[in-house]
Amino acid sequence: MARSSSSAGNSVLEMTHVAKAFGGVHALVDAGLILYPGEVHALLGENGAGKSTLLKTLAGVHRADAGVITLRGQDFLQGSTRDSIDQGIAVIYQEPSLFPDLSLAENVFVGRQIVSNGLVNWAAMEKASQGLFERLGVSLDPHAKARGISIADQQIVEIAKALSTDAKIIVMDEPTAALSSQEVDRLFTVVRNLRDQGSAVVFVSHRLDEVFALCDRMTVMRDGSTVGTSLISETSDSEVVRMMVGREVSELFPKLEPHIGDVVLQVKGMSLEGQFSDISFDVHAGEIFALAGLVGSGRSEVIRAIFGIDRYDEGVVTINGTKLPPGKPAVSMDNGIALVPEDRRQQGLFMASSIARNVAVTMLKKLSSWLLLRRKNEESTAAQWATTLQLKFAAIGDPVERLSGGNQQKVVLSKWLATEPKVLIVDEPTRGIDVGTKAEVHKLLSQKAQQGMAVIMVSSELPEVMGMADRIFVMREGEHRGTLTRAEASPEKIITLATGGVIAA
Amino acid sequence: MKALKNLVKAREVPVFVALVLVVTVAGIANPSFISAIGARDILLGVAIVAILAVGQTFVIVMRHIDLSVGSLIGFTSFLIGDLYSQGYGLWAGLAAALSVGVLVGAINGFLVAYLRLPSLVVTLGALYVVRGIFNDYAFGRTITAAMVPPEVAWIGLNRIAGIPVLFLIGLVLVIVSGVIMRRVRAARDLYAIGSNPAAAELAGIPVARRIFSAFVINGAITGLAGAVMLGRFNAANANSGLSLELIVIAACVVGGVTIAGGSGSVWGAFLGAILLQAITRTIGALGIPQFWQQAFNGGLIILAIAFDKYLSGRTKATTIMGSKDE
Repeated sequence: MARSSSSAGNSVLEMTHVAKAFGGVHALVDAGLILYPGEVHALLGENGAGKSTLLKTLAGVHRADAGVITLRGQDFLQGSTRDSIDQGIAVIYQEPSLFPDLSLAENVFVGRQIVSNGLVNWAAMEKASQGLFERLGVSLDPHAKARGISIADQQIVEIAKALSTDAKIIVMDEPTAALSSQEVDRLFTVVRNLRDQGSAVVFVSHRLDEVFALCDRMTVMRDGSTVGTSLISETSDSEVVRMMVGREVSELFPKLEPHIGDVVLQVKGMSLEGQFSDISFDVHAGEIFALAGLVGSGRSEVIRAIFGIDRYDEGVVTINGTKLPPGKPAVSMDNGIALVPEDRRQQGLFMASSIARNVAVTMLKKLSSWLLLRRKNEESTAAQWATTLQLKFAAIGDPVERLSGGNQQKVVLSKWLATEPKVLIVDEPTRGIDVGTKAEVHKLLSQKAQQGMAVIMVSSELPEVMGMADRIFVMREGEHRGTLTRAEASPEKIITLATGGVIAA
Repeated sequence: MKALKNLVKAREVPVFVALVLVVTVAGIANPSFISAIGARDILLGVAIVAILAVGQTFVIVMRHIDLSVGSLIGFTSFLIGDLYSQGYGLWAGLAAALSVGVLVGAINGFLVAYLRLPSLVVTLGALYVVRGIFNDYAFGRTITAAMVPPEVAWIGLNRIAGIPVLFLIGLVLVIVSGVIMRRVRAARDLYAIGSNPAAAELAGIPVARRIFSAFVINGAITGLAGAVMLGRFNAANANSGLSLELIVIAACVVGGVTIAGGSGSVWGAFLGAILLQAITRTIGALGIPQFWQQAFNGGLIILAIAFDKYLSGRTKATTIMGSKDE
């Protein structure tokens, strides 16, 4: 939708020729972004393209080395988060930035608490946040502490914070990455309201379908520079992807012809009070078996139970006929199961350790001699994997936290693939990683399956499920709702099952 | 109903209940405990720890710690007596105590806030440095009753409406600090910093300035509290205030000022101090050997922290500062 205000020429923000280097690394080379009031503007690019750095410059976290930034024609005051907030910029970061010990009301007004006679006026603050929550259509208790509220609600609180500062520019960095589809709908409604009230909303997402559904214009970045800006209505998926990667991506999901073998893993009548009940399925060698469903439907809990991180109340898990004892991940690993967790930063990686150490950690025994780990063995093994996975890094001894999200995911994958598992369980294998790397991860999973590995994949992204899976096991509220074969599956059928509908025969 | 629920949830309530329980048990076992003299003993004994616990709360809510307070209060109590005995008068002594307190607080604060060194290590260092300088300054001398300014001695000996003046000083401090911590913006920032330091930066809070200020405030309170300690004991020597910081931190923790930062109140810390003192007295009143007192207080600290963990529902693995939920 091309909005009339866009053509009026009164931009609210203009960032041009912005450059920024950290040490010798040029994060931004020639970046630009122009925003108009009353638009939702998508900022797109692969991980490492410079989106975050550009947005952090706007947020006052970084100061640009060069370039011009003007806000409503005035020079933009850079380099202080406080100044950015005062100039009407609100940034909702991908990582939650609430204060768990403070009440929601105080979270909304943090650093700018309402005062009367020099003292914080709690009643006024609670009333004002109540009003903001109502305006956003959610029932949150302003008295409640922020600890433990869902990511979706955390975002609503952040948006309330933005509204309370009367922000004219609201930046959302991958807000939908951890949301269920209902929560995404709620967020979109809120975003559209903000736009209609004249705010400029910057929307960062790796999900192109969302971008096309929500945004008015888009700016694409690549390697620290802005590649182009266009109206959403005048572009297409493939055009956007080509701009992002700078090459044609012919196949996003290069699924290879599977060779389905015998049953490897069998789950029978597995239940865990309050999480899932009566889950049964077989997974064959060479098969990619997807667990689909909304966030919170119990998918992740099921695979955690299979791997032995959590116990289960009833049921049996067998691998090649051997029964696995519940709650023993080490036994599962010995029997050839590997789990790549959803939250790679906290559960999948030792962020401060080297790439080599991270890759090698699952096979310490193999790489050791005389009880001591040989660093040379560690590094050579890691180097092989780095080549196989086309990992982008400076040195194999660098800490993993320096890598981009996509490359971190590759490290987690290689760590587990190095154990040569019979069953590979991956939870949201491509969350938050860029299009190019995503395709590489998909190709890798597909190849491994073709070589006979059984892959169990949990994914919230329908195109990924549709493109990769041989069979799709759909869950809702902890229960099995139906299994679709590759031939039967369609997005509509999966959504219908996942949301509690019934497929007409 | 909601008010009741909030009351039960407030961390001060269980501390208060425990306090009532302890006093009741002691009173039944030994009726003289409940007497005015017994109560006065507790209030008198608690004043110093309570005052320091209030100052320490400013630091702990930021997820920091100040271990230097025991050395500092010992030094300033000695200093006030020493300057008075040399003829400089009371006010010069107080000014010197305040200056030393602010200086130590400022050095701690600078190292922690601007050089981003861990407060545990910085203030552990300060604990020894201040004690070392103090020992050199005192050089085996002691401050005796005759060297204590009469005004200072007065606050240690007298009562207003039956309540020891020492305790009233603590009470005034906790009331004023209580309002500040709850209702002054800059003080609310301390809670935000302790709850999520990274988010505090992003929210535009001047994090370094706030951390620095909180250490200075704690230093100032501790420096002036030297006068209170001198009044209480009517004497001072190179060992004054030795390992007092541990009792202070224990009082905070027992009172619900969580080491992981972000929550707790000066009232809680104050009540925590009273509870620990009451237990000490109770153990005496019950005729239990005194050495059990420390073991009991230690158990109480662990109980308090387990209780907080249960209340907050934090499940992540712990580090030396407790759970982190980033």
